[in-house]
Amino acid sequence: MRQNIRSFLALTKASLKMYYRNKGAIIFTLLIPIALLSVFGLLSKSRGGVVNVGLTNYSKSEVSKLCVKTLQEIKAFKITELSESQAAAELGKGNLDLQVIIPKEFGALMNGRPLTGSIETKFNEGKPLNGQIANMAIIQIVSDIDRKITNSPRILDVKSSGVTTNALGYFDFILPGILSMTIMQLGIFGVAFSFVALKVSGALRRIQATPVHPIYFVFAQATVRLLVTLSASLLLIAFGTYFFDFHMLGSYLTFILVCVLGILIFLGFGFAIAGWARDETQVAPVANLIQLPMVMLSGIFFPRDAFPAWLQKITDYFPLTFVSHALRKIANEGSTLLEIPVDLIGMTVWLVIIYALAIKVFRWE
Amino acid sequence: MSNILEVCNLAKTYDNGLQAVKGISFDVRRGEVFGILGPNGAGKTTTLEMIEGLREISSGTVVLDGINTAEEPHVIKKRIGIQLQSSAFFQNLKLTELIEMFADLYGSDVNPIDLLAEVGLKEKANFLVKNLSGGQKQRFSIATTLVNKPVMIFLDEPTTGLDPQARRNLWELIIQIKKLGTTVILTTHYMEEAQYLCDRVAIMDDGKIVAMDSPEQLIKQLIARGFLPNTQVSPATLEDVFIDLTGKTLRD
Repeated sequence: MRQNIRSFLALTKASLKMYYRNKGAIIFTLLIPIALLSVFGLLSKSRGGVVNVGLTNYSKSEVSKLCVKTLQEIKAFKITELSESQAAAELGKGNLDLQVIIPKEFGALMNGRPLTGSIETKFNEGKPLNGQIANMAIIQIVSDIDRKITNSPRILDVKSSGVTTNALGYFDFILPGILSMTIMQLGIFGVAFSFVALKVSGALRRIQATPVHPIYFVFAQATVRLLVTLSASLLLIAFGTYFFDFHMLGSYLTFILVCVLGILIFLGFGFAIAGWARDETQVAPVANLIQLPMVMLSGIFFPRDAFPAWLQKITDYFPLTFVSHALRKIANEGSTLLEIPVDLIGMTVWLVIIYALAIKVFRWE
Repeated sequence: MSNILEVCNLAKTYDNGLQAVKGISFDVRRGEVFGILGPNGAGKTTTLEMIEGLREISSGTVVLDGINTAEEPHVIKKRIGIQLQSSAFFQNLKLTELIEMFADLYGSDVNPIDLLAEVGLKEKANFLVKNLSGGQKQRFSIATTLVNKPVMIFLDEPTTGLDPQARRNLWELIIQIKKLGTTVILTTHYMEEAQYLCDRVAIMDDGKIVAMDSPEQLIKQLIARGFLPNTQVSPATLEDVFIDLTGKTLRD
């Protein structure tokens, strides 16, 4: 036992040194996600990080004024008062994310009792994300005001307060996505290529020539990859928070725990591919075949709502969907582990599947 | 001299039906340098790997230092040192770091600098493996086989691809290891190497041993069979000319 620990530590130390002396790998590890984050961060900053709302108020009532005032107080909204036709034109050009029309009878009183009235909203189909976020915010504001006027107790409570109070922007949506994508790429590509290289060069064989079972070398490599990917994740979170004002509504500990789960899943993919492959030429196509659909279809860069229902159904089961969805729920909505049971079950099932598969297909030479 | 290794009817048939080794038997005596010669594909490497416990034995037995390889491969690996054909691994590690790593894997304690001095690489102690020349890599590779003070080391084509100076330098290292009492078994394509280093050789062809004796005896037997060389025997070879002109000094 003591000898096994000594062997494991020796192999881990050696693997760590091999990793940090490989400058190319470190750049690959950090440069791409940092560049992606910066691009998206700057994009959402150049739009002021705000949602452009075009407002047309036909009503003269106190309630409608209160409504407009509340909207104007939200930092994430840039409210411009326009005529209905102007606003519609701007929305069409993509200069507005959301058009809000308050009708004449809104909030008006008749015989001392409020008339019913509804606010009309139209959002930009081209930027569904901004529009939807704004729409949710407005629905909430209106229902709050409605509640105040009618003095009715809140029977149903939609917990979406985070949206209005925290000025969530596209960057807050994109960071968990890019983070989970980075975790996937470092796990699959990073591990598969470097490990198959150790196999081809004879390093693995040389370990087999010692009394140590080569599985300890796999453990050592996995440990180093886990540490490296976790450090990269922490760095990305810090980078996004410092430079682009990333909002974390949930607990950092929960967020990092899900990151670790994700890292373990994708390390499993990497070792399964490297274990199965005879050389580098077999790694690239398989790794791409697994990674590409996930990058495109797991809702990393845009919500999956835009897909047809059948495609959503399939992508529901992608490991990257579970990881990125869980990270978003924690960061954007402040969810706890208890509130993301489906994601946790999905990740656990993938964890079991991929390690069982890795053990089954692994070839030592 | 007692036998350190006894190989009996050893055979290997791969999954694809290829019979790489077809029932060979030989002994290696304690303290000798034993060579396995043969063309590519003769089964030399497969034979070594079965003895080392690196490859499953199809049939036959191997007893090394009193231990049956097939029954206790892990015990065997603690007592032997193995140099593989390819030594291009762990490129980004320093020599001392790799020696320490291998020592940890065997649970042995060696002074990396002393061991490197033994193979003439003391000055390169803080170099990365990738910055060594071909000959230095081979010497370092042999150093890694010595960390556990093995009773026997296995060298698979240790001098392939080296220039004449580096090759002669490696020969001296092998002689030195032999003098310290370690048994050496090696494979090679170079007859002058086998003649210079080996106390006895086995010549393999097509998975079988076709001859086994000391190089001198094998030559005597050939001449006794009435062999006539097809060229005028010269008292010197072209390699002698090369070494005479370029010297024995290492170039790496």
